[in-house]
Amino acid sequence: MTACLLGALPADAKESIPILPPYTGAYQPQGVDERGVWMVADEDERMLRDSKAVINDAKLNQYLRDVVCRTVGDARCNGVRIYVVRDADFNAWMAPNGTLAVNTGLLLRVRNEAELAGVLGHEFAHFELRHSLLGYKHKRTAGDIAAWAGVGAAAAAAYGYGSVRSYQSIERSAIGSIYAFSRVQEREADLMSMAYLKSSVYDPRCFADIWDRLMDEADATARGRKQRSARYDRVAFFASHPTSLERATYLRGIAATMGKAGEDDSARFRMALAGWRPEFLTDQLKLNDFEGTDYLIGELAGAEWTADLLFSRGELYRARGNPRDLVSAISFYRDALLQDPTNANAYRGMGLAQLRSRDPAGVETLKKYLGMKPDASDRAMISTLLQ
Amino acid sequence: MAHKILSSIAALALFWVGPAVASNKLIAQGTSVTVAKSPLTITSDREWNKMGARPGRNSETWTIDGDGLNDVTFYGGIENDRPLFREVDRRSKPLPRFSSTMLLTDLPELFENSYSIALHTQLMKIDSVEPMTFLGQKGIRFSFTFTRMNEEVRRKGEASAAIIGGKLFMITFEAPDVFYYERDLPAYRAIIAKAIVGSGSRP
Repeated sequence: MTACLLGALPADAKESIPILPPYTGAYQPQGVDERGVWMVADEDERMLRDSKAVINDAKLNQYLRDVVCRTVGDARCNGVRIYVVRDADFNAWMAPNGTLAVNTGLLLRVRNEAELAGVLGHEFAHFELRHSLLGYKHKRTAGDIAAWAGVGAAAAAAYGYGSVRSYQSIERSAIGSIYAFSRVQEREADLMSMAYLKSSVYDPRCFADIWDRLMDEADATARGRKQRSARYDRVAFFASHPTSLERATYLRGIAATMGKAGEDDSARFRMALAGWRPEFLTDQLKLNDFEGTDYLIGELAGAEWTADLLFSRGELYRARGNPRDLVSAISFYRDALLQDPTNANAYRGMGLAQLRSRDPAGVETLKKYLGMKPDASDRAMISTLLQ
Repeated sequence: MAHKILSSIAALALFWVGPAVASNKLIAQGTSVTVAKSPLTITSDREWNKMGARPGRNSETWTIDGDGLNDVTFYGGIENDRPLFREVDRRSKPLPRFSSTMLLTDLPELFENSYSIALHTQLMKIDSVEPMTFLGQKGIRFSFTFTRMNEEVRRKGEASAAIIGGKLFMITFEAPDVFYYERDLPAYRAIIAKAIVGSGSRP
């Protein structure tokens, strides 16, 4: 049973997924460059391991490890160390030595296990294809070329050897090639991830859906901030990744050619993240991104508004605080309390929203909050509002 | 050609009188000074250093040992629809704005969100909130803990705030949890105790 979008078969299937290469475990870095890259990665990992931003939840870690293993297979997933980083941005990264960091902002936005598998597979592909090393080498060469072209341009300006413009165009294309190379690697990692998904239990059609939602969320954010939304139909000079539209399109095309169905395992995913979701939502609410967050909460709800989502929506509207927002917030808190009457913080939010709209009923609501949470850290402060 | 350009740049540099960069300044013990380009008046029990760099238009930072070790920041009347401090990236990371209709209980949240956006950290948390009399008005005191991303130093802080005439007046203190916070909290509290708005009588 899957809820992921089906794509039409592409007219000209340009992309083909690679055949998985044989994998050797316990790989050791070869040569001075790779040893150097690994040494830096080892040091970074030591710092990451001790970072206060890393969530140490053995159960959550084990769950993510299971997903990696179910995606890339038991042989491959063995050497991976997973770190969940408390960061509200949508991101994950993998270092050349096998460090895999996953942001909580990603875990909040992913809808099911198949989507998560697509992203984690993508990161693992960077690792298996040794992209950090290749990227480092390319950057060094391009940097050298750009620097020497700069010297050439200066010489041309001072002494008239050659034309300044041609040196500058070499410089520009060398810098541009760094970003272009990065985009090629991202695409390779996407294709490799589809190859993992093909031999996994997951539905490969789900991976494309994330990029659709990210575009919609970014558009909502831009709308809320009265900015023009980003264009997805062309690639910016400094873009390190293909555009979300491009990714959604080719991933959906590949999935259609593959013709494979599979699990999306959304129930397993929801269960594993249930305890954390309210926390991640709280982080999201701090970002001062009303429209984007409202879109995200709506997407998470789908057809079913659960108590935690209603409560978060109440907090979101109360924080913006226009008189009409306070009215909406109060009704969201009320609906949240219908489903979960034990949520003391919903009484707190509702009471404060009522007081801010000059509704005396707020006093009674806040009394309920204090009654349910006698040792609340803001007890003394809230009590002053009741007089 | 290049020589000409270079020498004219050098000539410009010689005669260029740019805007004077605000420098740090010593605040002597026992003096009364107005801070943050506002009527907020502070009488200090000890020497402080006023930082030349301001966090925002209506604010000012003092320190004892140096920026980041023990900072007292004065917010002197933040107006409606203004952020607490200067926005680093207004386009992609706009800060929440103060609203004069806010309740006192909304202030810790405003502060928490502003800090977590500006410092790009989810490790910012309000620890306790209580009422207080601040600048002769009904005010709020709250304590907080935060860690900047990629720094790993846990910092603690305390803030005292009141809304006077629709404007936000606030004085905050923050220092590393290790050593500085405990040692310098009394110096901050002494500033709070003697802070007034205006030159003489309390408003």
